[in-house]
Amino acid sequence: MTERARPAPSASALLLSAALLFAAYRARTALTPFLLAAAFAYVLSPVATFFEAKGFRRLPVIVLGYLCALAFTAAAYYAIKPLAVEQGRHLLDRAPAYSRALQAYAAVGETSLVHRLPLPARVSRQALDAAVAAAMTRLQDAPSSLLGVLPLLAHAVLVPFIGFFFLKDSTDGFEALIQAAPSRYVEQALHLAAEIDTALGNYLRGLIVVAVAIGTATFLGLTLLGVENALAIALLCGVTSVVPYLGVAIGIVVGGAMALIQFSSLAAAGKVVLLFVAIRFADEILLQPVIARHSVHLHPMVNLLALVVGGEMFGFLGLVFAVPAACVLKAVAQVSWSWYATETGLQPGYASDAAGIPYT
Amino acid sequence: MGPLKLFKRWLGDPAFARKKQFLRSLDLFDGLSAGEIGELVHALHARTYRPGEVVFVEGDIGRALFILETGRVELTRLDASGKPERIHTLKPGEFFGEMALLESLPRTATATATETSRLHLLYRSKLDGLLQSQPRIGVVVMSHLARLLSSRLRRARGPAPARADD
Repeated sequence: MTERARPAPSASALLLSAALLFAAYRARTALTPFLLAAAFAYVLSPVATFFEAKGFRRLPVIVLGYLCALAFTAAAYYAIKPLAVEQGRHLLDRAPAYSRALQAYAAVGETSLVHRLPLPARVSRQALDAAVAAAMTRLQDAPSSLLGVLPLLAHAVLVPFIGFFFLKDSTDGFEALIQAAPSRYVEQALHLAAEIDTALGNYLRGLIVVAVAIGTATFLGLTLLGVENALAIALLCGVTSVVPYLGVAIGIVVGGAMALIQFSSLAAAGKVVLLFVAIRFADEILLQPVIARHSVHLHPMVNLLALVVGGEMFGFLGLVFAVPAACVLKAVAQVSWSWYATETGLQPGYASDAAGIPYT
Repeated sequence: MGPLKLFKRWLGDPAFARKKQFLRSLDLFDGLSAGEIGELVHALHARTYRPGEVVFVEGDIGRALFILETGRVELTRLDASGKPERIHTLKPGEFFGEMALLESLPRTATATATETSRLHLLYRSKLDGLLQSQPRIGVVVMSHLARLLSSRLRRARGPAPARADD
């Protein structure tokens, strides 16, 4: 059997792919735990591969890893439980006082601004009333918005469970895909997989490092500044750091508001803002160069566009996976260009003046 | 058998040990330690080709090295009249397509499995990754490839002329 002409992908295959993508979009809510589990397994897979390279079977390594993680989680739970309970109780007790203090600040600020704005007092007051009312409505909606993220927390058990099977079978699944690929496309399939792995793997693993680093820095910084509920704010910042810029932005708003209420001083709020600006710079200077070294570099505008489109289409999950999806698209575009350039001779081969010197 | 040995046996992967032993028998990886061969096992992808299945075609852009574990693979090249001419038949333990690890250039022959064949593929970017993370593996493989290239050049040029003072 000899294959001379390389067959083009058929229209029916393209139609089938489009239909599958559309079905996945429609069923996105049901697919959420599977998507999260796939990301979870993908991030942890190198740990299992490390032990496999030492000659251990994958399944026992994963089982032992899960048991260790379970023991560590239980130990961490018992270690931070007293602090979490105390801070949670404190937050609930003081919630009405925080709300009253915020309203008082809004009223004082409004009165002060009415006299400063270059507008008639009545117009200024009406505009500021409308702005404060809108802000207060948003603030009242905040708990329900946060509760909207709770179904994601419900996946805390489901994701590791599904992730176990992804982790266990991912290498066999990949080998099966390579086996199923038409023989002449195997090299291209491996090229594409390697480029996506480079782009995506480093980004996703880096994201976890950033989330842990921002959470820890927030807790230590707020504790040093004496701000209440440091653990809750640090957890919120750490978790939301998986969306670029969001963790620090939330830290500035929530941490700043907490300091303002607690110390009744703009200087205290300013210190918290400075803390988060310092955390953002430290992330940019110390962590991002290491994380971005082996992953695809995206222009900040592309990052922003991906976040807006992802958030619009898939909500919070879309915000989390927007940048990785953009990384994959860029890797696919780069690989396609590389194939085109080498096939058409646009990419010149290695050339050196030394090639003209006879072999001696 | 003691409980420790039983535990070790439960943890150990016999398929991995077999692959490792096969790779250690190849000249291309001569000089690598057991741990480095272990890393290499994970950089390779295995695929089984049916009899008559084409691995690559003359003129395709090469991107991977192929190592034959079992079976037979025939290399053919089109002659002046456009008919395929057999230039070599590969046996288990031999490898081909190695120049793809150095440059993405068109393949100079067509490779076809003549019986059910198990091949391991070492993809160029995987080797590049190993060069970054495990430089010694990359250096050993590249050194073997350079010597192979040199010996082929020597053979193409013919035997060295006798010295004038002989």
